Amino acid sequence: MDGNKLNSPQVNSWVDERMSALNSGENWQPNVQVCFARLQKLRSTTNWIGRRTVLLATAAAAAICLSIMAYPSPKVFARRCIAECAVMWQNLSLSARAQTHLTPENARYAAPDFILKDANDKNIGLSEQKGKVVLVNFWATWCHGCQLEIPWFIEFQKKYEKQGLVVIGISMDDDGWKSVRPWLNEKRVNYPIVIGNQPLADRFGLDGMPLTALVDRDGKIADVHLGVVDKDATEKKIQSLLQEKIRR
Amino acid sequence: MHIVNAPSEAVADVNTAAAPFDIEALFRAHYSRVARIIERVVRDRGRSEELAVEVFLKLWRNKNAQHENVEAWLYRVAVRTGIDGLRRQTCRAHYEKVLAWIRPSSAPPNPEQLHSANEEQERVRSILAVMNPRHAQFLLLRSQDFTYDEVAAILNLNPASIGTQLSRAQESFRKEYIKRYGRE
Repeated sequence: MDGNKLNSPQVNSWVDERMSALNSGENWQPNVQVCFARLQKLRSTTNWIGRRTVLLATAAAAAICLSIMAYPSPKVFARRCIAECAVMWQNLSLSARAQTHLTPENARYAAPDFILKDANDKNIGLSEQKGKVVLVNFWATWCHGCQLEIPWFIEFQKKYEKQGLVVIGISMDDDGWKSVRPWLNEKRVNYPIVIGNQPLADRFGLDGMPLTALVDRDGKIADVHLGVVDKDATEKKIQSLLQEKIRR
Repeated sequence: MHIVNAPSEAVADVNTAAAPFDIEALFRAHYSRVARIIERVVRDRGRSEELAVEVFLKLWRNKNAQHENVEAWLYRVAVRTGIDGLRRQTCRAHYEKVLAWIRPSSAPPNPEQLHSANEEQERVRSILAVMNPRHAQFLLLRSQDFTYDEVAAILNLNPASIGTQLSRAQESFRKEYIKRYGRE
């Protein structure tokens, strides 16, 4: 059949006849009163849901605004986020690095020597420590990672001093003793602290803070670690170095 | 638009554009007819009442529908709701049939099922459930004695094309019916 043409009256009446089967024969009257009451109830529920949604949205917006206000500048907030991420990444990488062993004895090279003055104007030199294991730590008063590991070095110094461990802290603060002396007065550091300089830092390959080098009893670098050390792994390395004997 | 069988005074009241939207007046004027349209295809009076209430709830929520042609909107949604309800029933019946094959039920048919056992009625409903919903809407509105102009207003169509479109719907129904049940 062509869809644009009208059907024959027979088809129309045939379909109408079939469709009339849907008539039940009785004139059903739904209960309008009861159904209207049901509609009213549904409307009030919907109203309440709407109010609740608005309240929740307002509370969420207020919470977001307050948290943004806690960090006044988005730049500061972003900087803090990046700093936190960096610390997290460093901590994650630490666990992987902790597995690394000391440099084999035949592959070690001589540690750069230095003589620097401590807070009491006493000369502290690396060559003077021959026969001892030396932990050289480059740090600064403004470096948070450094502050984290200094208590561990204090502990190592106390624990392994008698076995031949010497910890030397080399501060890289630009204003030298001006910043370091008040810091020293505040902390109880049991090992010598000296003020470093850029040529020395370059010789140790310092391109980040903190940096910790372990020098064996022969004055050779057995391990260099950039970033916050893993306390347990470093202690094991120190123990291992302390067990080594002087070869010459 | 004038709706056949609707109380003319109530329609006149709600048609005044300046008057504020009065859902109660609309409800009292059109609820019965809306519910009956749905009941014709759904064949469950309780469910039809619920679906008709939902139609009015939709109208109350939809501010865009609360214009002067609100009755056309109401019947359009009512027919669509009825066909959707019928399709859901058909779908459910199909799954129940599959389930009955897995786990036969010994429960006797309830009075509602007996009521809907009219064979011809079931055939028509089964065709309406599977045919193009637009065609099904045409046939349902026509079988409810809506005039061509009213059908055009309800379905938002050009009144001049209603005859052609209704013919197509009828032909589609006839073909499907003959395909399923043969010439009777």
